[in-house]
Amino acid sequence: MPAQVYLDYQSSKPVDPRVVDAMRPWFTESFGNPSSLHLDGDEATDTLERSRERVAQFIGANKDEVIFTSGATESNNLAMIGYATRNRRRGDHIVVAESEHISIHNIAKALEKQGFKVSKVGVDQYGRVSVEKLRKKINDATILVSIGWASSEIGTVQPMPEIADALQGRGIALHTDAVAAEGLVPIDVRKVHVDLLTLSANDIYGPKGLGALYIRRNVNIAPVMPGGGQERGLRSGTENMPAIVGMAAAADIMTSEMPAEALRLMQYRDRLIAGVLGRIPKSHLNGHPRERLPNNAHFRFEAIEGESLLLSLKDKGVAASTGSACSSKTLEPSHTLISCGLLHEEAHGSLEFTFGRWSRPTDVDRVIEVLPGIVERLRSLSPLYAKETKA
Amino acid sequence: MKSTNYSEKTLDHFRNPRNVGTLEGLDVAVGKVGNPICGDLMYIYIRVSDDRIADIKFQTFGCGSAVATSSMTTELVKGMTLDEAMKVTRNDVADALEGLPPIKMHCSNLAADALHDAIKAWREGRRGETPESPKVGEVPSSCGLPVTKPPAIDGAEALLGKGVYRRVEDPKAFVEKRVLVVDRGKPSVDVALELTKHTGRVVFMSSTKEPSSKDDLRAPLKRSDVKVIYESEPIAVLGEGEVEKVRVHDLNENEEYELFVDAVVILEQAPVLP
Repeated sequence: MPAQVYLDYQSSKPVDPRVVDAMRPWFTESFGNPSSLHLDGDEATDTLERSRERVAQFIGANKDEVIFTSGATESNNLAMIGYATRNRRRGDHIVVAESEHISIHNIAKALEKQGFKVSKVGVDQYGRVSVEKLRKKINDATILVSIGWASSEIGTVQPMPEIADALQGRGIALHTDAVAAEGLVPIDVRKVHVDLLTLSANDIYGPKGLGALYIRRNVNIAPVMPGGGQERGLRSGTENMPAIVGMAAAADIMTSEMPAEALRLMQYRDRLIAGVLGRIPKSHLNGHPRERLPNNAHFRFEAIEGESLLLSLKDKGVAASTGSACSSKTLEPSHTLISCGLLHEEAHGSLEFTFGRWSRPTDVDRVIEVLPGIVERLRSLSPLYAKETKA
Repeated sequence: MKSTNYSEKTLDHFRNPRNVGTLEGLDVAVGKVGNPICGDLMYIYIRVSDDRIADIKFQTFGCGSAVATSSMTTELVKGMTLDEAMKVTRNDVADALEGLPPIKMHCSNLAADALHDAIKAWREGRRGETPESPKVGEVPSSCGLPVTKPPAIDGAEALLGKGVYRRVEDPKAFVEKRVLVVDRGKPSVDVALELTKHTGRVVFMSSTKEPSSKDDLRAPLKRSDVKVIYESEPIAVLGEGEVEKVRVHDLNENEEYELFVDAVVILEQAPVLP
């Protein structure tokens, strides 16, 4: 699959060829609209409902608890705005984790404009929410807590079972954006009592442009987009059948291959972490040392800047990612890194590697081979490093 | 346009930067621009002979265009008279690089400013200095002057005992915590060093400029795991019922930013700092 050393699976994944095969007939031969009452329509309805069941099984849910959306961003909007507006009479207070991806923070801001109050629960230096701190943020008006299952950026996995237990029986819904975690750590809504859970198809090697939202039975949300009333009236618009079929195929493959795949990626991750920290002075691991995604290695290097690192890696045929401001659209460094207690100048020196289905052991070798020299060269240009070594 | 959509010329100067390094001597002046907080910091050193730039070197921390513009600036102005070099603008540098992505025009195209700063330093007679040393007449009034009592930090009183400490009696209370130690002289330096035995994250914040002398009482911090920030002061401690973060004023850039911490140590003593 990827020709270069591609270690940016958190940004985008190739669609598994087996998934493409499953999708292909749905562009041409099978093109029915599930709302139609003829044979083509019936075939589409059957496939839609079977696909829904397979995606539901992937997270231990019932098939009537899953609806399809256009992706994780829409699922997050529908979960948070849909739940908050529908349950407003019960309270107007929402809690999100400080470390969340900007998209969650921006949804929270939109809710604030509608008059909701938003609290942010801080995280520790590894990006983890503590249940104790979360309890302190909750009050009688709290109706919704949103905490991502894991960070796509620093790889820290949240203590979701403990968080869910702490909220049980208090009339507070728990939403989790699980896109970073899906396919890498087990997710079972029978074991962890979340009320709303966001999935995306591409994060399990399905197509882009499709997501799903798990909505626990008896949890009520309002639609955010009026229309023809598809997906139980919660998500109008003709169903994206090829993508839905693709997501179901991707979920099946992931269910059977995840245990071995996660172990394999974890070996790459651990070898990369040991290799980088062992060879490069003044390098650090961001995120939790143990409670982290099996495919994520996130570093920071003192006195250099992330975009320079990415450009240099690109020249060596390696694709990675950074939380530096210089690579962001807003020119602000990653808020996830800042929420862990890093200074801006430290966040600028961050570098993220994420492994995936087509990663090979030689990818790790290549990074360990080229990265020390790149860091050394950029430090030789940097006034910050000259100062530190002089001291 | 993507922020890293660089021209081949820009990439060439990033990959093979010209004139990297430092210069020393009484015929050398140095200019500085930027700040690591913003993600860019540049030093440009000029050696002047007969009112011309006889030699020029740079050091840069920053993104691809920060490195490339520094390199291109040094190449453009080498051999120019100081008057000619003063006329070289950011746009000239960007043009010489066959253009920069629009988003980079302001944030990372600062090398011309550093050059002008160096020429200004030369003309004002500030020669043979190292960039670390404070520039005469530019020391902010709060920097390096005797402090008689700690300046008030908003919210510190309210969160006393809830993450704000006036003294450190039991360092074990700081295990695994992110601690900010505010500069209160030698005792605060000792506290910061002691705390590194108990937690991996200690930030020491001082409103003074970075001292150039190795005899400075803060010097031991440089050799430790303590992260030291100069020219910054906490203006507020924030949190609901416990310390969550500190609002910091960066005196150099006159900007504010937030630092997430679990504990803040503001010692009662406020000795006179040299």
